[in-house]
Amino acid sequence: MIGALSFEQAPPLWVPLRFFLTAPWFLCAAGLLLAVDGAHVVAGGRWGPGAVAAVHLVTAGYMLQVMAGALLQFMPVAAGANVWRPRLTGGVAHAGFTAGGAALVAGFLWVGVPALQAATVLMGGAGAFYVVVLARGLAASPAIGPTLRGLRFAVFGLAVTVALGVALASVFGFGVALPLAELVPVHAAWGLAGWALTLLAAVAWLVVPMFQLTPPYPPRFAFAFPLAVCGVVLGWTAAVFLRTPAVAIAVAAAGTLVVGAFGGATLRLQGQRKRRVTDATLECWRAGMAALCAAAVLFPIPLAVTDAALRGRLEWLAGVLVLGAFVAVIQGMLHKIVPFLVWLHLRSVMAVPPTMQKVLPDARARPQSRLLLASILVLALAAAWPPLAHLGGVLLAVAAAWGGALLVGAARFHHRLAQSPSASPDDTGRSAR
Amino acid sequence: MRTEPAPFRTIDARDWLPPEPMEAVLAALPELDPGRELVLLLYREPFPLYRVLEARGFVHRTVLHPDGTFAIHVRRA
Repeated sequence: MIGALSFEQAPPLWVPLRFFLTAPWFLCAAGLLLAVDGAHVVAGGRWGPGAVAAVHLVTAGYMLQVMAGALLQFMPVAAGANVWRPRLTGGVAHAGFTAGGAALVAGFLWVGVPALQAATVLMGGAGAFYVVVLARGLAASPAIGPTLRGLRFAVFGLAVTVALGVALASVFGFGVALPLAELVPVHAAWGLAGWALTLLAAVAWLVVPMFQLTPPYPPRFAFAFPLAVCGVVLGWTAAVFLRTPAVAIAVAAAGTLVVGAFGGATLRLQGQRKRRVTDATLECWRAGMAALCAAAVLFPIPLAVTDAALRGRLEWLAGVLVLGAFVAVIQGMLHKIVPFLVWLHLRSVMAVPPTMQKVLPDARARPQSRLLLASILVLALAAAWPPLAHLGGVLLAVAAAWGGALLVGAARFHHRLAQSPSASPDDTGRSAR
Repeated sequence: MRTEPAPFRTIDARDWLPPEPMEAVLAALPELDPGRELVLLLYREPFPLYRVLEARGFVHRTVLHPDGTFAIHVRRA
C-alpha cells in the first residue's frame, strides 16, 4: 500500500537538503568564534563586533538556512501551498543566503565595508525573492487551519526583518544615515519573534500532535497566537522609536506572557503525549521550550536595570536562552525531518525502503543533541562567569560539526541506496557513520 | 436543500502516526459506494492525501471542529 502513495508534489531531496547540509557549519563557526574570543564577546555586550557576528552566524546563518529549506518542503504538505519552481527558488535562496550570511559575518569581523555591501545585495536580493515566492504560494493556499495563518504572518515577519536588515547593513556598507540605536532592537524583534517564533509555532501546530501524538493546540489559541506576537512586535517597534522606556518594559512583559503561553502550552501537551517513546527530537523540543520560557521571563528585566555591566550579563543570558531554544528545536526537527525525507525519496526506487531508524538511529542522534544542549547550558552560565564562553564555544562547535556529519551520513545513505537499491542498508549504514 | 451523504465509515486516526491514516483511507476507498461518505478524523489537514484522492476520482470537504479535530468527508466525485 505504501507504494501506492503519491508524493509527486514533494520537491527533489536536494532542494531542502542543501540548506540542511550547509546550516551546521554556520553554527560551528559561531562555536569557534566563541571558543576563541568568548569571554571578550560576553564582556563586549551586544554592540561588540564579536557578539554581532556570533548572533548572525546563528540567526542569518544556521536558523535561516534550516527554516528556508524546511519551508520549501513544509508548505505543500502542511498548507497545500505550492512553491514556484522549487529547484530554482531553492537554488537562488540557498546561494544568496549562504554567500550573504558569510559576507555579513566577514564584514562584521574583518573585511568591513566591501563585505557588508555584498551582504546587503545578496541577503536583500535573495530574501526579497524568497519572500515573494512564498507569499505567492501562501496566497493561493486552500488550507483552513491555524498553520496557514501562522505561515502568512511569519513570511510577513521575514519580509520586515530583511528590509530592516538591509537598512542596517546600508548604514555600515553604504553610509546611509539611519537611526541605528532604534533599528537594531526593532530588527531583532521582527527577526526572532515576527519571523522565527511565529514560524516555529505554525510548524508546532502541525508536528507536535502529529509526531508526538499529543492533543492538539486549542484552535482559538493557535489562530490568535500570530496576531498576539505581531501586536507585541508592533508595540515594541513603536516604543523604541518613540523612546518611551516604560512602554517598552510593558510591551516586553506582554511578550513574556505571549511567548510563555506558547512554551508552556507545548510543554503541557508533550506531557500528555500518547507516544511514550522519548527520542532526541522530543528531548530537543522540551529543552527548547524550557529555554524559551526562561528567556521570556527575562525579557523585561534588563530594560529596568541601570547598571550597565549587570544589564549586559542579563542580555547575554536572555540572548543565549532564546537563540538556544531555536537551535535546540531546529536540531531536534532535523533529526526527524532528514531521515523522513531520505525514507520518502527512497520509496521511489525501493519497494520496501529502510526505516527512518536505519537512516539515522536515535542512538547516534541523541548523544549529539545532548552535547548541543550542554553547550547552550554552558554558554548561558557564562553570564555568571564569562570565561565559560570559551568552553561553551568549543562544545557548540563540536556538537554542530557532529550534527553536520550525521546529516552528511544520511545524505550518503540515500545516495548509495538510490544508486544501487539492492545494496544492504546495513552496509550503507556503517559507511554513513 | 442539499442532503448530506450517508456515512459509510469513520476512521478516527487522531492518535495514529503517519502514514497509517493515509493507508487506512486508501484501503477503505474501494468499498466506498456512490452517495455515501468516508469520514477521517485527524489533528491536521492531510494535503498529500487530498492529492491522492483527487487523482483517484474522489472529492473531499474538510471541517475544523472547536476541539482542533479536522473532519475530512470523502466521497466519489
